[in-house]
Amino acid sequence: MSSFLKEIAGPSAALLLVALLVALTTRNFLDPGNISNLILQVSIVAIIAIGSTMVILAGGIDLSPGSAIALMTMVFATLIKFYGWPLLPAIIAVLLLGLLLGLINGALTAYVRIPSFITTLAALSAFRGVAFMFNNGSPIFQLSPVLEQLFYSSVFGIPLPLFYVVICYGLAYWFLTYTAPGRAIYAVGGNANAARLSSINVERVQLIAFAIAGAAAGLGAILMSARLNSGSPNYGVGLELAAIAAAVIGGTSLAGGRGNVINTVIGAMTIVVVQNGLNLNAVPTSAQNVVIGAIIIIAVGIDMWRSELLGFFARRNK
Amino acid sequence: MPSQVPLWELRNVTKAFPGVVANDNVSVALFSGEIHGLLGENGSGKSTLIKIISGAHQPDSGTILKNGAPVGIPSPAAARAHGIATVFQEFSLVPTLTVAENICLGRLPLRHQHVDWDAMRKRAEQMLTRMHVKIDPAAVVASLSVAEQQLVEIAKALAADARMLILDEPTTALGLTEIAQLHSLLKRLKAAGTAVLYISHRLDEVVELVDVATIMKDGRIVCEAAETRIDIPFIVRRMIGEITEHFPKEETSRNEIVLDVSAIATQNRVHDVSFTVLRGEVLGLGGVLGSGRTEIARAVFGIDRLTAGEIRWKGKRVEFSSPEEAIRAGIAYVPENRKSDGLFFNLTGFPNMSIARLDKLGGRFSLSLRRETEEGQRLVEDLEISPAAETKTVDLLSGGNQQKIVIGRWLFAGAELFILDEPTQGIDIGAKVAIYKLINTLTRAGHSVILISSDHDELLAMSDRIAIIRHGRVEAVRHAREISKLDLVRASNANLEDVA
Repeated sequence: MSSFLKEIAGPSAALLLVALLVALTTRNFLDPGNISNLILQVSIVAIIAIGSTMVILAGGIDLSPGSAIALMTMVFATLIKFYGWPLLPAIIAVLLLGLLLGLINGALTAYVRIPSFITTLAALSAFRGVAFMFNNGSPIFQLSPVLEQLFYSSVFGIPLPLFYVVICYGLAYWFLTYTAPGRAIYAVGGNANAARLSSINVERVQLIAFAIAGAAAGLGAILMSARLNSGSPNYGVGLELAAIAAAVIGGTSLAGGRGNVINTVIGAMTIVVVQNGLNLNAVPTSAQNVVIGAIIIIAVGIDMWRSELLGFFARRNK
Repeated sequence: MPSQVPLWELRNVTKAFPGVVANDNVSVALFSGEIHGLLGENGSGKSTLIKIISGAHQPDSGTILKNGAPVGIPSPAAARAHGIATVFQEFSLVPTLTVAENICLGRLPLRHQHVDWDAMRKRAEQMLTRMHVKIDPAAVVASLSVAEQQLVEIAKALAADARMLILDEPTTALGLTEIAQLHSLLKRLKAAGTAVLYISHRLDEVVELVDVATIMKDGRIVCEAAETRIDIPFIVRRMIGEITEHFPKEETSRNEIVLDVSAIATQNRVHDVSFTVLRGEVLGLGGVLGSGRTEIARAVFGIDRLTAGEIRWKGKRVEFSSPEEAIRAGIAYVPENRKSDGLFFNLTGFPNMSIARLDKLGGRFSLSLRRETEEGQRLVEDLEISPAAETKTVDLLSGGNQQKIVIGRWLFAGAELFILDEPTQGIDIGAKVAIYKLINTLTRAGHSVILISSDHDELLAMSDRIAIIRHGRVEAVRHAREISKLDLVRASNANLEDVA
């Protein structure tokens, strides 16, 4: 337990610092309306980032979830609007489709041995291409009033998406910490050779990581459709990079094997709080993007130079 | 004959890092035309000393003198300009470039502002010829064996016209002939007036080579060059600071065959190999690098598939098609290269030990971290692993502790046969003795060991029987007591001659 607290201490402190700065420089940051708006904003990228974190921990990278979401919102919308499927079967179908897309990425990476960067770069292009094949490439609107409720309702004043995020991160943390496949993801990302010699089925572990990423993208697609009550081949552009940024700001090492999934949601919140602060201070979007870029560099820089920085301060304090 | 004024001298040099004084008031004098051994256990401060001389670290206090005059070495480039060349343990070669390009890297010969490829090739050829090494300068480094890469690394250092050459563990990857080649090269350099600073864990080769030696312990010099006697027992005592039996072999072999390998072959250089391993026995596999020892281990462990013959494990015929099956049956393989094949540097000690049998920590979906901690603490105690293993990732532990953790992994997995491939390579004397004691613990408990080692003394002292491997075949199996070091070395040398 104490090691868990130690692991999340850095990113949590960074988030608190950022939140404090924003709270001090703006008037509305702590308004309940603004806070629940933040939760709605962070929820989709946070859920996708679970998958990105798993894949990165296993030593790969996933560039496809943004496009996968566009494709899945179109499939979802088509099933509901043109085939008249009820909501629940449509949701299950989209989750299974996400799993399948993840398995395709995983199989190409693990068994055909194409590096995941290439596999998912191809998927980034291909999935969005397929998305445009539905409904002649036009968005599909007005899916279902009930669907919207899945995103915008609250229970006891707490927006529903917060529950989804908490449940998903709880599951992800439990999976990575308390199951054999979860531990194997760390082992494969840390040293695939040693993992193989320790009786771990490296290919299957990679496949599992991508399958989880696919399922997470499926859930993200449902939330995206619910939020906008529509499907569109243009949804999710750049979302994969936001998800990777969340993982990286949370301290997940792109080299694989190092990181804690709870820090990913902290990283995602950090990004959203900064964006919110800049918005409330009327900073233009162009400058906001520059700031997000700077935060990525600072977060990774602090992580990489941690021991040197600690040494520097230790000498200063002597 | 060494001149009166040292070429390089460190006087009262101190260097501290957070939490540790790595070099404490250290003074060393290095003369032209002298091979100077720098000895000490891991963590004794040798690496820091080398890094100070080669400009990678700056001392907190003390002076560096060149030919008696104080100088600063603010950077590795400054060290090179001073004629100091360092061959570090980690290779600094670019694997995708050719041998010639690597040798001339940083000093590419130019003509009209363009690289002069002919001159470069010639310079590389000259260097390699001078070293009596047959390597094609046009070969891509990645295609060379580790031993060849090591030689290229040395050629690269020499190409800089070094007046002082520093070698940090240069022979870890080398076979006997290559070591002999390297030593004769160093002796020629010495005769030509180069100063050599030589760091090695293999004391037998140190005493053959060096003129003087300095011994370090805990960041201090415990025995200056003038006092050091160049003989192994003396050095061992001063290095570890207490009198310890170097090879504490216990005989626990029982008359029960656990592994019976008969006439096996693989596509990976194993031909018609037969041997047995008894319960409680250490069977040594002797032979040179590349003779097929590791390949035999791979066959037994189920990495390489058998093309002929059979293996009987505890009386039953087995055919492992993967390491997983071998592990389930109770066979463990501790690979030669801990870093690339053994350890998970991203994990702390306990997960490193439980990884091969996570099912022992409970069901597929409920790892008991409490049980992992209990078992881990028990292994830390049994194997005398540093308690830091519980909280630190294993990249922060010493080589000896790392090796014990890999062995601990297989104890946790319930292994009964331990195949140890070069288990003491690159770890210091104290940790070596600890590994030997660990081997005794294993055999005393009725486990068996297959020991693969290029260290002849170690192999002779720790094995009950030795199988000499040559060209992927078993040449002979003898009791260790009936075979002398000379026999073993001769077998290896004969082997090399008819390879060439």
